[in-house]
Amino acid sequence: MTISSSGNSLTGPFTAELLRRSWLSEKTFELELMRPAAFQFRPGQRIRLLHKGVERDYSLLSRPDSPRLGLCVRHLPAGLFSPILAAAEVGTSFAFTGPHGYFIFHRSSRPPVFVATGTGVAPFLSMTRSGVAGFILLHGVQTAAELYYRPDFGAAASLYVPCLSHASPGSALPPGAYRGRVTDCLRDHLSPGAYDFYLCGRREMIRDVILLVDERFPGSLVYAEIFY
Amino acid sequence: MKTYVGSGDRGRTSLLSGERVEKSHGRIEAIGDVDELNSLLGALIAALPEKEGELRAALQGIQADLFHVGAWLATSSGSPTLEMLHEIGPDHTKALEAAIDRIEAALPPLRSFILPGGHPSAAWAHIARAVCRRAERQVLRLAAPESTERLNSVIAYLNRLSDYLFVIARFCNSLHGIPDEVWQK
Repeated sequence: MTISSSGNSLTGPFTAELLRRSWLSEKTFELELMRPAAFQFRPGQRIRLLHKGVERDYSLLSRPDSPRLGLCVRHLPAGLFSPILAAAEVGTSFAFTGPHGYFIFHRSSRPPVFVATGTGVAPFLSMTRSGVAGFILLHGVQTAAELYYRPDFGAAASLYVPCLSHASPGSALPPGAYRGRVTDCLRDHLSPGAYDFYLCGRREMIRDVILLVDERFPGSLVYAEIFY
Repeated sequence: MKTYVGSGDRGRTSLLSGERVEKSHGRIEAIGDVDELNSLLGALIAALPEKEGELRAALQGIQADLFHVGAWLATSSGSPTLEMLHEIGPDHTKALEAAIDRIEAALPPLRSFILPGGHPSAAWAHIARAVCRRAERQVLRLAAPESTERLNSVIAYLNRLSDYLFVIARFCNSLHGIPDEVWQK
């Protein structure tokens, strides 16, 4: 007896071969997988990698029309999936499903404000590579070494502010950087008004920014992608 | 993986279409009713006999569809997010109608009201049916000012789903040899 007309919007599983891994910093690397021809996505969406009963979602870095799928991975030695990806040899095949999520860019009359922590910058890179421009981007990282994609946002962002949470007092900052957390930067420097906020990264950042939006930026919309 | 974020601790939450709304907002009420319905389907599935794998699969398919219903309810009209949602449309409603007709054909004809109850699985189906009706009423309140075709499809689906659950309740009782308890006026 089948009642559901099936309608599962997910597709796959697909199989993709690992083409390249490049380390962006001591703790972060980028992977490139061959994009299966039948796999389509929209900038900002993610895929779910599957390996020996373990699964993990990663936002895509690449343009939808690229022949390669780019992923930005934080290497957690005690994690379930990133050690597998960090050690996998080029040529290894990975199964994945997707695309997942609704985290896409919506054009509107409100200024877009992108807020990312760490590798949460990935969906914004995909959007930027797909032509989205004119946004404010706050990228929260611990140190300047993690600002690996800064050049990619140069021309597209109306304002790009690296927020360095672990910069020691008195130390030199990269040009245009803010010493502190993204939430503090928003509170201190974003003019009152209504915006479209796009948040991607750690749950603590998402929670803090949403509470700040309710308090300081009424009438704004909030789209969030939480890293678990 | 932690399940909490904490951004709703002050009584507001986000719609899929980005708006920040009070948790007492009509859309959140409707989503809550659909969530309750989905949970009750889980209880019904848990009470089914092991051999009823086909019915279990059918109910789990409905549970999956109710997630899509929740996504529709969490997206305001006019939002571009609507384009990304999985449609809950006439095909889903027709599939329910076909199942109702098929199951009902194997049951004794009904000529009177029956009391909700009987086997625990049937009792769960009746509770789910009543909550489904409530969810439908809640969505109706949303649809009145917005009157979108897609919300109307959701209303039709919930309406038929409550009928389906009524038939499933009777089916569950028949599986266990429990006759319908007719209402004595």
